[in-house]
Amino acid sequence: MKLFKELFIANLKELIRDKSGMFWLIAFPIIFVFIFGLIFTNSGNEQLYNIGFVSEGDTVFNKSIEESIANISVFKINKGKKQVELKALQEGNRDLVLIIPEINRNLNEQFEIEILTSDQRAQASTVLISSLKEIFYNIERQITNQKEVFKIKTSTVSTDTLSDFDYILPGILAMAIMQLGLFGSFNFLNLREKGIIRGLGVTPLPRQIILSSEITMRIVISIIQTVLIIFLGRWFFNVHIVSSLLVVFGVVVIGAFTFISLGYMLITFADSMESGRGIVQIVQFPMLFLSGIFFPIDFMPKYIRPIVKVLPLTYLGNALREVMVGIPSQVTMTRNITILVIWSVLTVLITVKFWKWE
Amino acid sequence: MSDYVLKVSNLKKSFKDVKALTGVSFSVEKGVIFGMLGPNGAGKTTTIETLTGLNKRDQGQVDILGLDPANQLKELQKKIGVQLQSPALFPRLKVVEIIKLFSSFYKSSLSTDQVLEQIDLMEKKDSWVKNLSGGQKHRLAVGLAIVSNGEIIFLDEPTTGLDPQARIKLWEVIRNLKKEGKTVFLTTHYMDEAEKLCDDLVILDRGRIITQGSPEHLIDQNFDDKVIEFRDQNLSAKFKDQLKNSSFFNKISFEEKNNHILIYTDQIRSSLKRLFNLSEQNNIELEGVIIRKATLEDVFLKLTGREYNDETI
Repeated sequence: MKLFKELFIANLKELIRDKSGMFWLIAFPIIFVFIFGLIFTNSGNEQLYNIGFVSEGDTVFNKSIEESIANISVFKINKGKKQVELKALQEGNRDLVLIIPEINRNLNEQFEIEILTSDQRAQASTVLISSLKEIFYNIERQITNQKEVFKIKTSTVSTDTLSDFDYILPGILAMAIMQLGLFGSFNFLNLREKGIIRGLGVTPLPRQIILSSEITMRIVISIIQTVLIIFLGRWFFNVHIVSSLLVVFGVVVIGAFTFISLGYMLITFADSMESGRGIVQIVQFPMLFLSGIFFPIDFMPKYIRPIVKVLPLTYLGNALREVMVGIPSQVTMTRNITILVIWSVLTVLITVKFWKWE
Repeated sequence: MSDYVLKVSNLKKSFKDVKALTGVSFSVEKGVIFGMLGPNGAGKTTTIETLTGLNKRDQGQVDILGLDPANQLKELQKKIGVQLQSPALFPRLKVVEIIKLFSSFYKSSLSTDQVLEQIDLMEKKDSWVKNLSGGQKHRLAVGLAIVSNGEIIFLDEPTTGLDPQARIKLWEVIRNLKKEGKTVFLTTHYMDEAEKLCDDLVILDRGRIITQGSPEHLIDQNFDDKVIEFRDQNLSAKFKDQLKNSSFFNKISFEEKNNHILIYTDQIRSSLKRLFNLSEQNNIELEGVIIRKATLEDVFLKLTGREYNDETI
């Protein structure tokens, strides 16, 4: 156990000090999150309308109108002199300018309220004018004590609207886990090619420990990646995580183990660093695009779907989408996990059968 | 009575059709620097790997500290230290960290400070392994062998590829191991290293041992004469024939590759006289004449009939 701990720490230090390795494991997924996040998130901010407000009087009525309009949350009120506001409108800095004359108590008089809009934003203007009309109609009713015939009751039903990015974020995590598992095997391949693993045979160190400490370290890294990706998704792009973190970690560990053993399986068939890279690339690259981690499988041609249905990344993507953002997959969660476990068992068996220490 | 820590008899090992070791026997006394000298491909690495458990022997007996690597390997590995390429295991670990890691493999290991002191890397203890110079890496590799605090330290060509200064520094490290009471088993293909560093040595050639003894003993045993050496340049065939037939010389040999002629003789004065007379008669100017003691290279040449340099690259 002490040996395991020492080797685990050594592995971790080695990894953390490897700048390019850290880039691929940590910075690369972060960059992915930001790029996809910025492209695919629908801006959550409500649009604000810039209203130029010119009041030519200072009566109670003037003030009451001003208050009513300022209460509308989508209006940004810029109070100013007529010339200033008109100039701002011409320059495109106002969506609309409202000019209110001095309104006194003589209610028999009709007051002319002037609304100036910009021809640049005709569509917005129509909406604005009708809502302003509504506002003035309300004020008018209050002043004249007319009875309201209709009472309109509104309430909002909250909907879980999912953006495209909600689909993609679990995909980025799935991609990171796959790459950690597949590319991570190069380290061992390198040590094997250089004869270092063989050379360690002269020390009392059991070489299984070299491997088990490596595997443990990668699983820890996958948890770190998960925390990081979830954090970024949550705080920068408002992705709502539906399950507890522990459930997500559970899926991540199963997925990480599947891809780590797949990685080791692939390098057992390599006899050099170059062939190892080749074999892993051949598997990794198509899987990245054929597993529906970035777009739904329905977008793919029918003849490709059978391939999609056997790839482990498909099921890791499915499982992560379900536990992270609550997008259900076409198959059940049990099935997703079962298929990942089957992949793990198969790859472990094949790896053990063909494993080469030297 | 000598106290032997390692005894090998009739060790045989083949790789497919290649016979790497064809019946090797030797023994190593406690507390000496023991060298195994031989050209590349002689079987030195195979021997060291068979002794330390990386290879299984086909035949023969091996006794190291009373243990047999064939079936008591784990026990044996705790009592020996073997130099290997392991610094490359974690290129971004600090020197002190990798020594500490290796010390955790052994129960009664040396402290990291002791190791750093012995291999003279105290100043570099916080450097990453990959940033060390070639010589420093070699010393660290030796350090990872001695951290075990084993009774026998095995070093496989510890100075190969080092510049002269780094070699001399590593020799110091090895000599200090001896002072600490360790037995050092090293392989080398450098004649001068074997001659200067080793107390006892075997010369290995094509998988067999051609002789064993201290370097001085091996030279004295084979030569009680000195060597006159000169360049083979513009020498006529007639002159060379006359040299060979001269009864004054014990033996004459031509080193074709380096264009040198060697004359072994115990009568330097008369031999030189004869040589110069001959050159006078033939009107030949001798160039690069040197008189020296015989070396291990001469021993190798005498025992194998082949020039040592032909085999080394």
